[in-house]
Amino acid sequence: MSFYKSFIKLKFIAGLQYRFAAIAGICTQFFFGFIYIMVYNAFYENGGYNGISIESLISYIWLNQAFFSIVNLYYKDKEIINTIKNGNISYELTRPKNVFFMWYAKILGTRLSNVVTRFLPIILVSLILPKNYRLGMPSSLESFILFIITFILGIILVNLITTFYHVIMMKTLDERGVVGIFITIGDILSGLAVPLPLFPKFLQKVANLFPFRYIGDLPFRIYSGNISVTDGLKSILIQILWIIVIAILGYILSKKILKKVVVNGG
Amino acid sequence: MRLYFKAFKLNIRSFMQYKASFILSFISQLITVFSYYFIIIALFTKFDNIKGFTLYEVLLCFGIIQFGFSFNELFARGLDQFDRLIIDGGFDRLLLRPKNIIIQVLSTDSDLTKSARLLESFVIIIISLIKLNLSWTFLKALTLILMLISSCIIFFGIFLISASYCFFTIQGLEFRNLLADGGKHIAQYPIGIFKKGILYFFTFIIPYGFVNYYPLLYLLGRKDNMLYAFSPLVVLIYLVPCFSLFYKACKRYASTGS
Repeated sequence: MSFYKSFIKLKFIAGLQYRFAAIAGICTQFFFGFIYIMVYNAFYENGGYNGISIESLISYIWLNQAFFSIVNLYYKDKEIINTIKNGNISYELTRPKNVFFMWYAKILGTRLSNVVTRFLPIILVSLILPKNYRLGMPSSLESFILFIITFILGIILVNLITTFYHVIMMKTLDERGVVGIFITIGDILSGLAVPLPLFPKFLQKVANLFPFRYIGDLPFRIYSGNISVTDGLKSILIQILWIIVIAILGYILSKKILKKVVVNGG
Repeated sequence: MRLYFKAFKLNIRSFMQYKASFILSFISQLITVFSYYFIIIALFTKFDNIKGFTLYEVLLCFGIIQFGFSFNELFARGLDQFDRLIIDGGFDRLLLRPKNIIIQVLSTDSDLTKSARLLESFVIIIISLIKLNLSWTFLKALTLILMLISSCIIFFGIFLISASYCFFTIQGLEFRNLLADGGKHIAQYPIGIFKKGILYFFTFIIPYGFVNYYPLLYLLGRKDNMLYAFSPLVVLIYLVPCFSLFYKACKRYASTGS
């Protein structure tokens, strides 16, 4: 365990060095946060409750923007992709540790450092914006605690999924094609592009069958009270179930692919 | 120009060497872009209009911006990836040749997978036009064509500005991308739905409004003034500062030396 822990720590410290990228990231998230809110404000102008109130929606958007660097599915670890493409993966194989969990530690460490340098300014500023743009307070203490729990589980889940498609890249040797399709579909079903309550009914049902909505959609809606505490408690079980399933699948898949891995380059 | 077409053909040929990879990337692009349209379509299952604009009106707007953007991603990728030329010193090599520098930059790269986006935006535009059931006149058809052309032109101008940015610094490319992509994101909606300040910004500073808002109003029959029909032509003026910025920046270019 301590091996993986030190791996996370190492990547975390390395990631903190990129301050300029962090500032640019914060600006980007603010900018898009404002655009989305303006669009939704325009949509909601004619009134109506569509499964989610405009206040909850705005909180959802800010939480999503603040934690974007850790909840988005588009993350690709350049280092890992390079090891796959230039053949350095053979070094990874000499280590007496499992590739899946090693990469998981690597990705988690990098992304944690990304989010730690970015989320606080966004949360703080969005809390004091004018009413139509403000991040609301959590609906109750219980829902806030539940938000923290589901969000931590969500972070574990999203990084398992991210690691999972890095393992697939070992096979496809390409980060666009198949993996690109996988990521895009996951992104839609995660609700992070459009919050799930705004989906057509049948797509909401489809999204429930996949793990993606348990990343950010669940905790963000618990925060604003759009999902009640009792419903949230039930969802924790599903979250844990998915975490176990993907960890096992990823572990098996990485073993299988590594048996026949092609080492590129020389 | 002949030089460019020759280079373009070569780029296509190099893409075709990896057919399976190309097809998969092509499909992946189709789905990626579809996810953008999906957002709009999903929202309109819950709402019937956004400040008076209906689904197909917004999709038309969206399609026109995507059309111009992917047109440039496909044909002007060299400009889009200009930072690479500066970083690896490839730009020095181009400067030595006795041909127009912009044409040469354009010739360095083209990304054929982006044709998926171009195709898709075209389909979306056609579908929206059929569903909108407009009362066509000659002038309206002309307006639509002008919109499409001006969309291609404005993104070419923005690519030029982004490329000029790389002459000054190759740091903070994220800021550059924010300026380029952020504006695009707003322009995908009819700009009139936003606050006045944004409308003015995208009318006078970056003239997206003349690409798909003012002419759109004419196309949809909400404004009858002929000026609206020909407003996309304003974008041509916008090209002047873009080109002059690029050439000016080019003059003070100092190689990275690698």
